[in-house]
Amino acid sequence: MLQLTATILENVPVAERTFRIRLDCPALARAIRPGQFVMLRLPGTHDPLLGRPFALYDTVLDTQGQPIAVDVVYLVVGKMTGKLSQYQAGQSLTIWGPLGQPFRDVGTSSCVTCVAGGIGQTPFLAYARQLLGQRGYGGDPAKRSVEQVRLYYGVRSAAFAAGVGDFRAAGVAVHLASDDGSLGTRGFVTELLESHGPIGPLAGCGPEPMLHRLAAIAEQWGVPCQVSLETPMACGVGACFSCVTKVKTAHGDWDYRRVCVDGPVFDAAQLVRE
Amino acid sequence: MIDLSVTLGRLTLQNPVLVASGTFGYAKEMAGLVDFQKLGGIVPKTVTQSPRAGNPPPRTVETASGLLNAIGLDNDGLEHFLEQYLPYLRSLPTAVIGNIAGKTEEEWVTMAARVAEAGNGLAGLELNLSCPNVSGGLDFATNPAMTERIVRRCREVCPTLPLIAKLTPNVTSIAEIASAAAAGGADAVTCVNTFLGMAINWRHRRPILGNGLGGLSGPAIKPLALRCVWQVARLKTIPVIAVGGIATIDDAMEFLVAGASAVQVGTANFYDPIASVRIVDALPAALTQLGAGSVRDVVGTLAWPT
Ligand SMILES: Cc1cc2nc3c(=O)[nH]c(=O)nc-3n(C[C@H](O)[C@H](O)[C@H](O)COP(=O)(O)OP(=O)(O)OC[C@H]3O[C@@H](n4cnc5c(N)ncnc54)[C@H](O)[C@@H]3O)c2cc1C
Ligand SMILES: Cc1cc2nc3c(=O)[nH]c(=O)nc-3n(C[C@H](O)[C@H](O)[C@H](O)COP(=O)(O)O)c2cc1C
Ligand code: FES
Repeated sequence: MLQLTATILENVPVAERTFRIRLDCPALARAIRPGQFVMLRLPGTHDPLLGRPFALYDTVLDTQGQPIAVDVVYLVVGKMTGKLSQYQAGQSLTIWGPLGQPFRDVGTSSCVTCVAGGIGQTPFLAYARQLLGQRGYGGDPAKRSVEQVRLYYGVRSAAFAAGVGDFRAAGVAVHLASDDGSLGTRGFVTELLESHGPIGPLAGCGPEPMLHRLAAIAEQWGVPCQVSLETPMACGVGACFSCVTKVKTAHGDWDYRRVCVDGPVFDAAQLVRE
Repeated sequence: MIDLSVTLGRLTLQNPVLVASGTFGYAKEMAGLVDFQKLGGIVPKTVTQSPRAGNPPPRTVETASGLLNAIGLDNDGLEHFLEQYLPYLRSLPTAVIGNIAGKTEEEWVTMAARVAEAGNGLAGLELNLSCPNVSGGLDFATNPAMTERIVRRCREVCPTLPLIAKLTPNVTSIAEIASAAAAGGADAVTCVNTFLGMAINWRHRRPILGNGLGGLSGPAIKPLALRCVWQVARLKTIPVIAVGGIATIDDAMEFLVAGASAVQVGTANFYDPIASVRIVDALPAALTQLGAGSVRDVVGTLAWPT
């Protein structure tokens, strides 16, 4: 785990209230894996005080193919993200990471299906590129393990869809849904997924009700399902015990587990749905 | 050569900068980030006799320059601590001070006795008499007689281990409680735990924390903590370890001048994980600025306006 001051290389709008920020941090970029996250903090202020967790969107490579920077895609929802959107290239942020558990190896299979709602698409670009063998992460060589990656992506409305072009460019089959019908089919992304049916393992990230629905679908289909949680965090490293979620234990009971160290990626079947 | 070491009763530390209980996990979490050997000491998270699941989330919420928390002493119990965490903690190149909380007087004594017996490698024991988040709300350090009694009974079963009473600021007179801890035989008091507070979502007409109430920490409480530390330290009845909003060398020096013999860094570990190390590194120069050759030379040197 590294803590560093990273220069902002870019901070550009990519959709409604959504930005992609590129941070110059080669050592972190070489180490981080899909599903892991970083904490970002605005230096020199107590407002906001704490860092905030953000998923790895993707690493950026130099001309020799070496990772040199990290991209994060964020939605403006409050204090920190609002201020972050005002930052310019050349300014710097405090960043620590890589944090948490990456997506687990699902072995070889013909297809992996990612299901995203809201800003939940962010962890899946790097994951898709890893599965499709376009890139290695954390020092591993690129290795293709699946034929196809599908992304089911649900947004409020067309203006909020961020990064669809990046996924298509990576060769991902993208299926879109929106609450108001302005993009793709109207309705929940999980309904769209169900209408297409099962092919291989699932991975999900988004609002809790969506993840609960997805876990139920996975159970019904009898396919493995990993979910990445977006629980609010204070430290991101396991020190504060604030980011807990209920995880089933061996004895049919449950215990609170820290999402920042035991997650953010969990096997959906392990989580207690309430 | 500046002497950074400090002595608080039976406890001697290589320097006066510790990290506070509940803000540094069980240290392993911070391993890649913090150079432990630089620290004066580490206080791991509070352990209780039996495992506790802790409070329902949300357990923390950020407020203006502060953090409100109601973790609820989520921990796996004393035996688990002794078996799973202590071997690692013991191996660290700095002083490790255990931190326990009992629900009843008997539980305090049982736990303290168990630490005296099986806690080898611990440089001391902090008694968390002051957690505002424990269900039942038994807050021993709001009552001087109770404080003295718990400390005395723990002292009986830990005759040689340095004992530190951690006090709550949520009282009318913290100085009175500190004196009670001194009378009970504590080597030092830690001032302060968090200030009871709350945060509300008015649109939902609900408290934000899962527990309803929480404890406030961070830069927001520094002036309050300074006041508490000064009120206790000026009595000169017991050495004080200061905690509350400390994040920089200036913060640390303010508390030393106010009368603290050592300081703990708490919430700052979350937003600036190497804050404690930076304070240690900056200490010699700050002491030199005051013409001091040791930490002792500045402790309690506040000149009151006349
Ligand atoms: C592992 C992980 C990865 C994440 N990845 C991304 C990402 O790639 N892109 C992205 O935009 N966001 C991501 N998030 C969420 C992001 O951390 C929050 O949006 C951010 O902390 C909001 O900070 P803020 O100061 O702008 O909002 P605040 O001012 O702190 O909060 C504004 C409002 O949002 C609510 N809120 C804050 N955090 C969350 C949350 N995590 N879930 C639900 N409600 C919340 C608050 O209750 C409040 O009502 C991720 C979270 C986690 C845990
Ligand atoms: C998230 C969190 C958890 C805490 N847990 C404990 C604990 O388990 N035991 C304890 O004695 N103090 C605990 N504290 C209190 C701190 O040790 C410290 O006394 C307090 O936060 C004030 O210092 P600060 O402003 O530097 O954080 C906790 C504080 C926070 C913020
Ligand atoms: S955010 Fe602090 S333990 Fe997870």
